[in-house]
Amino acid sequence: MNRHLFLLLIFLFPSLLFAQTKISGMVSDKLGKPIPGANVFIKDSYDGMSTDVNGKFSFSSDERGEQIFSATFLGFESFVKKVTLDGTDVTLNISLKEAVSELKTVTISAGSFEASDEKKMTILRPLDIVTTAGANGDVYGALQTLPGTQQIGEKEGLYVRGGDASETRTIIDGIVVDNPYFSSVPDVPQRGRFSPFLFKGTSFSTGGYSAQYGQALSSVLVLESQDVVEQTSTNIGIMSVGVSAGRNIAFKKSSIGFYGGYTNLQPYMSLVPQNRDWDHAPEGGSGSVVFRQKTSQTGLLKGFVNYGYNTLALRFNDINDPTGETRNSFSLNNNNWFGNISYKEIIEKKWNLFTAFSFSDNKDDIHFDSIPISNHNNLYQGRATVSRGIGELSILRFGGEFQKPDVNQKYSIYPSMYRENFGAGFVEGDIYLTQKLVTRAGVRYEFSDVVGKANVAPRLSLAYKTGKYAQASFAYGDFYQTPDKTFLFRNPQLEYEKASHYIFNYQVVTEKRTFRVEAYFKQYDNLVKEVALAPSSGLDSLYTNFGNGYAKGFDIFWRDKQTLKYGDYWISYSYLDTKRDYHNFPITTTPSFAAKHTLSVVYKYFFPKLNLQAGFTYAYNSGRPYYNPNRPPSEFLSDYTKPYQNLSLNGSYLTSIHKNFTVIVFSITNVLGIENVFNYRYSADGMRRESIGQTSPRFFFVGMFINIGSQKDDSDKYN
Amino acid sequence: MKTLRLMFAAIFIIVVVNAQDAKYVRAMEKNIAMIDSANKESAATIFQDGYNGFERIAGANPKEWLPLYYQSFCEVMIGLKQTENSKKDEYFDKAEALINKADSVKPDNSEIYVMKSFITSMKISVDPQNRGQKLGMKSGMLLGKAMQLDPENPRAYFLKGQGLLYTPEQFGGGKDKAIPVLETAVEKFKKFKPTSSIMPNWGESKCKAALEECKKPE
Repeated sequence: MNRHLFLLLIFLFPSLLFAQTKISGMVSDKLGKPIPGANVFIKDSYDGMSTDVNGKFSFSSDERGEQIFSATFLGFESFVKKVTLDGTDVTLNISLKEAVSELKTVTISAGSFEASDEKKMTILRPLDIVTTAGANGDVYGALQTLPGTQQIGEKEGLYVRGGDASETRTIIDGIVVDNPYFSSVPDVPQRGRFSPFLFKGTSFSTGGYSAQYGQALSSVLVLESQDVVEQTSTNIGIMSVGVSAGRNIAFKKSSIGFYGGYTNLQPYMSLVPQNRDWDHAPEGGSGSVVFRQKTSQTGLLKGFVNYGYNTLALRFNDINDPTGETRNSFSLNNNNWFGNISYKEIIEKKWNLFTAFSFSDNKDDIHFDSIPISNHNNLYQGRATVSRGIGELSILRFGGEFQKPDVNQKYSIYPSMYRENFGAGFVEGDIYLTQKLVTRAGVRYEFSDVVGKANVAPRLSLAYKTGKYAQASFAYGDFYQTPDKTFLFRNPQLEYEKASHYIFNYQVVTEKRTFRVEAYFKQYDNLVKEVALAPSSGLDSLYTNFGNGYAKGFDIFWRDKQTLKYGDYWISYSYLDTKRDYHNFPITTTPSFAAKHTLSVVYKYFFPKLNLQAGFTYAYNSGRPYYNPNRPPSEFLSDYTKPYQNLSLNGSYLTSIHKNFTVIVFSITNVLGIENVFNYRYSADGMRRESIGQTSPRFFFVGMFINIGSQKDDSDKYN
Repeated sequence: MKTLRLMFAAIFIIVVVNAQDAKYVRAMEKNIAMIDSANKESAATIFQDGYNGFERIAGANPKEWLPLYYQSFCEVMIGLKQTENSKKDEYFDKAEALINKADSVKPDNSEIYVMKSFITSMKISVDPQNRGQKLGMKSGMLLGKAMQLDPENPRAYFLKGQGLLYTPEQFGGGKDKAIPVLETAVEKFKKFKPTSSIMPNWGESKCKAALEECKKPE
């Protein structure tokens, strides 16, 4: 026979020469439970089959010699094994290892609330923030419906677990925001500067947070901005308080967005009676540019610049004038710039690099009666973080940051100045001992030029998955904060204030329900304390670090999207027991911003037929202490306000105008018109007092937001 | 003798290549026929078997896009049978990864874009409230691209029509809007001739059913 023909025959009919090999066995999971439907095969060949209902398989292969046998099934790691096929039967009993998945892996949860679109199971979605009644689209307003926060209605800020507003920091893309709220106005709470739509992820920590962050005794709010926008679209908003517009332009690997807004409360305030006497209703404008560029498959460059101005003027009664005729005036002009740029990339295989740089500048020009007051602060800062994955789950992170604030204040003709160089470094590891047990250990080093000293803060968290959906965790950490500049102006020798947190958390998070309970203890040390001096010293008082305090309590959170088909509600309750001896307190007592019991109920319901989402938020807190000068120092802050109650309604109606997605939003804050009192202000002689309540009995809001997606549906062109 | 040897070699190569091709086509045909036979009861097992078959074919033919395409399709169908949302997502994520792989093997293919849009719509159905707006736009864009690449692809029109059928009237959807698109799709299905026995050729009966559903009096 011809040699070539022989070869050809061998190739075409290999079975003439070689016997087939039979491969059989069973596929099961780690517990020995059979896996039906798994794919078992000889790699790069057609030979194989699916396992039967009992996980069993048996097939023959024509392949010869050393081959790779593989078994695969979704949710499990692929199994591969070298086998020799020589006609002798092969038996394989395979146990597949479950693939690491987000749902089966424990996460660090003590102290943290996350809202994310990307994670499969999260307590909140970014949309929840925008649709919470009473929050009026403000991130901070929505966070006040979560446990651990206080409902403070007379000033802005997040008061977390017995901490005051200065103990919470807002961080955007790794950068601390110096002025996250509009500038303070006496007795008028301010909103956050940044729209919730800018962010894809929100992580709110009520304590025990990561060593990546510092300079916040109580809490950090970490916001992560949106990535590259994939669709070109235009947004227009027409509201009872102003107008807004934005345009996003999507390119292949980048996007750029322009946003602008103008608000003026004058027309609204002339219609709805106000409790404040406005000379110039709040008016302001803002503009921002958001730039995103994919620099490679894994690299992303983000740039954001925001400019805002606002102006307002109002009058107050002079409580010290018994005739009640003297009026004090307050006016404010604010100009604010915030810009940051960040870059992230995966270098090498498992090394992640993140860098960010930011500049911000804030200028307040205030007139208090005829006294001019100016505040001008700017802040340069930078951050770099390197992280590396170890194994499948564990991560090691290290990095550093610097901040260079420059503050110039002027009260009448008296200037004061504050310069600081602040640097910090951290190392932190998320170490997974198993998929069910993780520990996060970290340490943070900080050095402040103003304090002239370093601090070293250890942080430790542990979390253990106790069931399919349940996990328990513990967190401990030390947190340092440079005293507020107003105190450092008086005494540059002040040291860091300190807090230590101990947190226990247990939570069960399923797709539709969340139950979370957390108990905590927080110890404050080295708080700034004003100590009165003997008149012979020639000084009234001295600022020291002799203050201290504690906060303890528990939070309960329950969210249920299951019971009612189109309904979704959450209930938060916080119990807080806190006392402190700081600032000008003559004794150790509960500060005026702390309420013992805080409750909020948020309810949302979707009417599918009407395309309407409606909801309410009910908020309650027990009375808060207020200062009554008629009491002796031993009874400092021993009077309590009435409990606070607020019921707010909102609704959003989804529709379309000329095929453009449109949302019409309305909301009413404090529907029942309850006259809440947050605090009292007394005359110097203690003879008269006035209450500090809401800026108006109710707040109404109506807005229409149109999304003109120029590429909403490309397929329209082809009809 | 030399010529003869060369000739043998040439025949050898042609035969081998054809044999491999034929083997590939046969295996594909067998698997496609199997998944076409799926009914309500057998769907879960059949699509899993189909998926496994296409996975094996894909492994042996890494340069072919069709096994990946069908793998992706099977994964979506299995996903639809899941009761837990997180499970659905797991299958849809896998389907998406597979179709992206197919896209890199065969860029700018209309059928691949149809499948991408189909997966995106299925992802929306898991959590319409949170995903609707963002992914809805994406799904439409992908269909647009599919139509641009092949204006005669009936499946693109079928998915568009089906999307309109399940979109409330207030958002520019509804039966009235869906009917003309589905009618176009039916027309295009009639004209459609797959270029080979293993090319995508699904959706016609479902499309007709959707059109009937539209025309049913309320």
